[in-house]
Amino acid sequence: MKYAFFPGCTMAYRLQFAEKSVRMVAPVFDIELVDLAFTCCPEPNAVRSMSDDTWLIFAARNIALAEAEGLDILTACAGCHESLSLAKYELDEKPDRREKANEILKGLGLEYKGTSTIIHMHQFLFDEVGIETITSKVVRPVPIKVVTHSGCHLLRPEKVLHVDNAEAPAKLDQLCESLGMESLEYMDKTMCCGAGVRKADSKTSYAVLREKMTSMAMVKPDAIVVFCPTCFISFESGQRMTNKNFGTDFKFPVFYYTELLAIAMDLPDTGLLLAEHRVKIDLPKSKETVEEAEVDSGDSITSSP
Amino acid sequence: MTDQADTNRTQELEELREAARPCFQCGICASSCPVFRVTPEMNPRVAVDSIIASGEISEDGTEWLCAYCLMCDQRCPMGVSLAEILLGIKNIAAKEGKAPTEFTQTLETLADDGCLSPISSRSEKKRVELGLPDLPRPDPVIIQKMLEATSAADVLKINKAALEEASE
Amino acid sequence: MTTSDPKESSSDPSEMEVVSTDPELRIGVFPCKCGKNIGAVVDVDELAEYSKTLPGVVFVQVNTYTCADPGQREIQEAITEHGLNRVVVVSCSPTMHEDTFRKTVREAGLNPYLCIMANVREHVSWVHQHDPAAATQKAKDLVAMSVAKAATLEAQPELDVPVTQAALVVGAGVAGMQAALDLADAGFKVNLVEKEPTIGGIMAILDKVFPQNDCSICILGPKMVDVAKHPNINLITLAEVETISGYVGNFAVRVKQRARYVDIDTCTSCGDCVEVCPVDVPSRTDQSLTWQKAIQIPFPQAVPSSYFIDPDACLGMDLIRCGKCIDRCEQKAIVPSDRDKYIDFEVGVIILATGFSPADPRKIPRLGWGRYPNVITTLEFERLINAAGPTEGSLVRPSDLVKPKSVAIAQCVGSRSKDTRMACSNFCCAESVKCALLVKEHYPDTEVTIYYQDLRMHGKYFEDQYLKAREEGVKFVRGRVGEIQQYPDTKNLRVSVEDTTHNKLLMIDYDLVILSMGAEGRSGNFPIPISCTEDSFYIESHPKLRPVDTSSAGVFICGGAESPKDIRDSVIQASAAAGRAAIILQKGRYPIEALSAKIMQDLCNRCGTCVSRCPYGAISQDGTGKFTVMGALCQACGTCAGDCPKDAIYMPNFTSQQIEAQIEIALREKPEDKIVAFACAFCSYRGSDLAGVSRMQYPTNARVIRAMCSGRYSPRFAQKAFELGAGAVLYSGCHLPADCHFQTGNHWMAKREPRIRGWMKRNNVSEDRFRIEWVSAGEGKKWQTIMSEMANVVEEHKTSLPAPKKATKKAKAKPKPKSKTMKAKPKSKTKPRPKSGTIKKSASKKKKASSKK
Repeated sequence: MKYAFFPGCTMAYRLQFAEKSVRMVAPVFDIELVDLAFTCCPEPNAVRSMSDDTWLIFAARNIALAEAEGLDILTACAGCHESLSLAKYELDEKPDRREKANEILKGLGLEYKGTSTIIHMHQFLFDEVGIETITSKVVRPVPIKVVTHSGCHLLRPEKVLHVDNAEAPAKLDQLCESLGMESLEYMDKTMCCGAGVRKADSKTSYAVLREKMTSMAMVKPDAIVVFCPTCFISFESGQRMTNKNFGTDFKFPVFYYTELLAIAMDLPDTGLLLAEHRVKIDLPKSKETVEEAEVDSGDSITSSP
Repeated sequence: MTDQADTNRTQELEELREAARPCFQCGICASSCPVFRVTPEMNPRVAVDSIIASGEISEDGTEWLCAYCLMCDQRCPMGVSLAEILLGIKNIAAKEGKAPTEFTQTLETLADDGCLSPISSRSEKKRVELGLPDLPRPDPVIIQKMLEATSAADVLKINKAALEEASE
Repeated sequence: MTTSDPKESSSDPSEMEVVSTDPELRIGVFPCKCGKNIGAVVDVDELAEYSKTLPGVVFVQVNTYTCADPGQREIQEAITEHGLNRVVVVSCSPTMHEDTFRKTVREAGLNPYLCIMANVREHVSWVHQHDPAAATQKAKDLVAMSVAKAATLEAQPELDVPVTQAALVVGAGVAGMQAALDLADAGFKVNLVEKEPTIGGIMAILDKVFPQNDCSICILGPKMVDVAKHPNINLITLAEVETISGYVGNFAVRVKQRARYVDIDTCTSCGDCVEVCPVDVPSRTDQSLTWQKAIQIPFPQAVPSSYFIDPDACLGMDLIRCGKCIDRCEQKAIVPSDRDKYIDFEVGVIILATGFSPADPRKIPRLGWGRYPNVITTLEFERLINAAGPTEGSLVRPSDLVKPKSVAIAQCVGSRSKDTRMACSNFCCAESVKCALLVKEHYPDTEVTIYYQDLRMHGKYFEDQYLKAREEGVKFVRGRVGEIQQYPDTKNLRVSVEDTTHNKLLMIDYDLVILSMGAEGRSGNFPIPISCTEDSFYIESHPKLRPVDTSSAGVFICGGAESPKDIRDSVIQASAAAGRAAIILQKGRYPIEALSAKIMQDLCNRCGTCVSRCPYGAISQDGTGKFTVMGALCQACGTCAGDCPKDAIYMPNFTSQQIEAQIEIALREKPEDKIVAFACAFCSYRGSDLAGVSRMQYPTNARVIRAMCSGRYSPRFAQKAFELGAGAVLYSGCHLPADCHFQTGNHWMAKREPRIRGWMKRNNVSEDRFRIEWVSAGEGKKWQTIMSEMANVVEEHKTSLPAPKKATKKAKAKPKPKSKTMKAKPKSKTKPRPKSGTIKKSASKKKKASSKK
């Protein structure tokens, strides 16, 4: 299955290893990723706050690019996914906006037709591939306790995105469990991490993050699993600022889901990914891996602290 | 402001007001807002109420504190799209040069690179290191065209000017 | 002379003059001066002279006050003396006196439907005061139109049907029980059908009921026993209505009763069987808070007082699968061979009391019901605090059976939200205050807070209950709960809500949260199609004046099925429905619409369009494919006829032929000056009358044609009018969406607009010459405005455009001689066969009448 791959600015230029993990797992599920000359999705908060029609035209162009190649768009960032999906919704539901957008796109040699769908890696793995298939490909289960954070922009608005139940999401948890993890229920699971307000008022943003992490800490997870590079950075780096501002002591390791997927499927070079993490974790070997290690001294998946 | 801009603004405000009208002040949006949770300034219910009551946007700029998490949108029992209303308020404020500095900077970066954050040589090196392909970049001319064809070009200009004025 | 009591006259239709076998048309015209009301503007004498020239008219008499006794007598004498077989009274609005004059002629032995009126007061003299000449001309046209219509009128038998002296009440909650008891006490037989194994509905499982907080089952129990014991009530439980056929007064009902597997007469409710039953199922009565067995009694006070077996849960009533209860039961009351059975009976009236369902908390996942054990619904609370409930009345938290020290109650769950239903559910505010009081009663030290959006203590004594709650220390905070989160270890709950009065976010921990659940409609799915609202509550015939009737004659609604309400209002409404139903039962006979539609089978092409147009379900297709109208259900709106592609439906007194004859007469001279205005009897015509009563003046162009409902206006009429050169055409009906007296006629009329305008476009008829308007009975001013505006349009077109392209049909100066008009409709196929009585020769009638002089 060919997709126009949309990593998004954050993933491509700030969380490259996360992009790497997506490209690593893609061939296992028969995905061919095609790279097109996309711009920023554009970011659904900052850009849209300044100018709604600018947001729409950038998004329309991105979608039209993919349509021109006859491809659906595979997103890997929740922000991109929401931005493109909402833009598609606007263009499909409001013919006058669509007309206006197409007028501008015409000057760029493009047209928005509404023929491409936008699917996030989360949806692809859960809906298209399925838990059973994923479980069957797991060679090295990862027996850690995690809390999942699907992210605001993957879940809401539910009536447009249809990714998961916005108030009680369970799909990312199931995806983690299929890799051998124990996914813990915690308070404020659907709460925002505060990233959206970081530009306007960073202190407020870290205060929000503090609330979120306090609830996460209550259940003592080994790591946080996200499916969006912005959420990743918000948690991994943001927690340090939160500690600085509020005297807290959060030290959560964070994973982008496909990293763990790559590890669980024992793909080569996963060490490269983990090396990029700022908060390291020793991933314990599961019983099977211990046995395997005894039989043949296979490569360890622990990374150096 | 020009007459046309004035008319547009009035019309935009009127549209926002209409969109906000079904609100019956139940407070679900406020109780769901992560920002209201940490700072009492940002209350989505009050933001919507003042649009209905006064037909004007508030002067204090609290709308920029919205994290765009869409929880209020998701939960509003009357189907009022608070996120869109708040975006509308921000758009109007932006046209008046009231955008926060960082937002203006983001828009500038978008204008220059087509990306949110400047692409440093370090990040490009990292891509090579990890064996990631070079991503095709859009022609800056296209980006300029899109900005000019929509309001971003003007908004950018107005806000940059406002910033300069402020720094003097 | 026959009396004017409709009941008597209708019970003996043989006294009626059905139709004159005399082929000669003998029309009597009675112009009225109405004192000065008509006479001051319209030259009534000239009108009378003119009337004499009209075809078929054999007698004309002017009166000053035709409606007064002397005037009426003169009509009656004229009928007798001159052998009149049609009467046209030229006076005020038929809305005013149609019934009066129909009675008058009926008393003289003439069929009342052979008498019509021409409105020259409200429509002429009162509104054209400044132009007597034009007014008189208009009056002449209106008389000529009525005479042309009269020519093809046919006598209609006035029939009624006997009413079976029994009732069906569907649903035995408190409303159904009340309705059944009222009718049974009034002496009628009632078949009370209940879906559950016991009667009592929701009320039976509540603990205490507001506002007096008396024990629910204690007050309901004796009523339940009354129902069980009443000699006139036939109680059928575990049953649902499967099919109903027939019509008011004569419903044939088939009920399907599920197998109980326990003989209700033998079972003593001893409960021995429960001890040996190996199967546990979630308890329905206790809202799945505990288990019950496959063999069960819903609660101790159940009526019938008998156990029943849930066949889906039971392992099997044989020796291999189980059968333990069979052995254990000393009364030998278990009946493994029990089967579902059908019960048939006939009733005259039906009352629907099927109640509502409690709203489903799973629709609001942000409140955590189902995931968090200590979030419960009000109904679950009722069972927990109920002495007969799973904890024997001890209010404890589901997660750890500990007494809660702090309780939050969240309002408006399941109501006032686009995700559930937009409307308020009426009882939840009072219910919550009651719950708060009950908690305080059990545990005075426990903190209780109610989070509300609007506290609707609307009922009698409710405000006192609220004040009492405040006295007891219940806290009230204005803010609707946004979300509930659970602490993973303690299972305590954190409630997030904004105190909107103080603009403050509250995130407070509670041991227990009660969700105040609203109501979910479950009406509909009934063998007789009764309209429901979007959220599945039955729709009443008129929200103010007929709040328990439905658009189906003989079917009434009450209780929660009609809209969510508390017990008191349910009981009130149930008695109301019983009262309405009793009127029909008591009278013993039910009059059916005399002017009901008839399908002319020789013209019908069986397209079936008419079926969907009828809001009463009166048209159906039989086994041979033939479509017929059930006269007893038909209300004579004519919407079916308006859409019939073959014009194959005959609407007595409003036939296509009669209407088209009126159009022809109206347009025979200077058609370009005329507005052919259609007005419906209940709204627009009355609105136009109001314009007259208010003496609003407007130009004389309009010639009004009355129909019972705007649904009758076929596109053909507008077409014909334009073909004949009409200056303008108006179709006026009751306001959308819900004002139509016949439910949906106005909607069907509106749907014809594209077709009409399409035809107009193709035939170069300027679009401003046709208007569809909605005029209510109170909108006289609107009628005046429309008349004036359309008169202007007519003027404009007169001066600018040439005549329409289509060849105008030569309007006949005078209609053809009588014989032809008499034969207009092939009578043999369309004449309704009177159900009783025969066609009597006019000669004998005349003799009878003359003998009375």
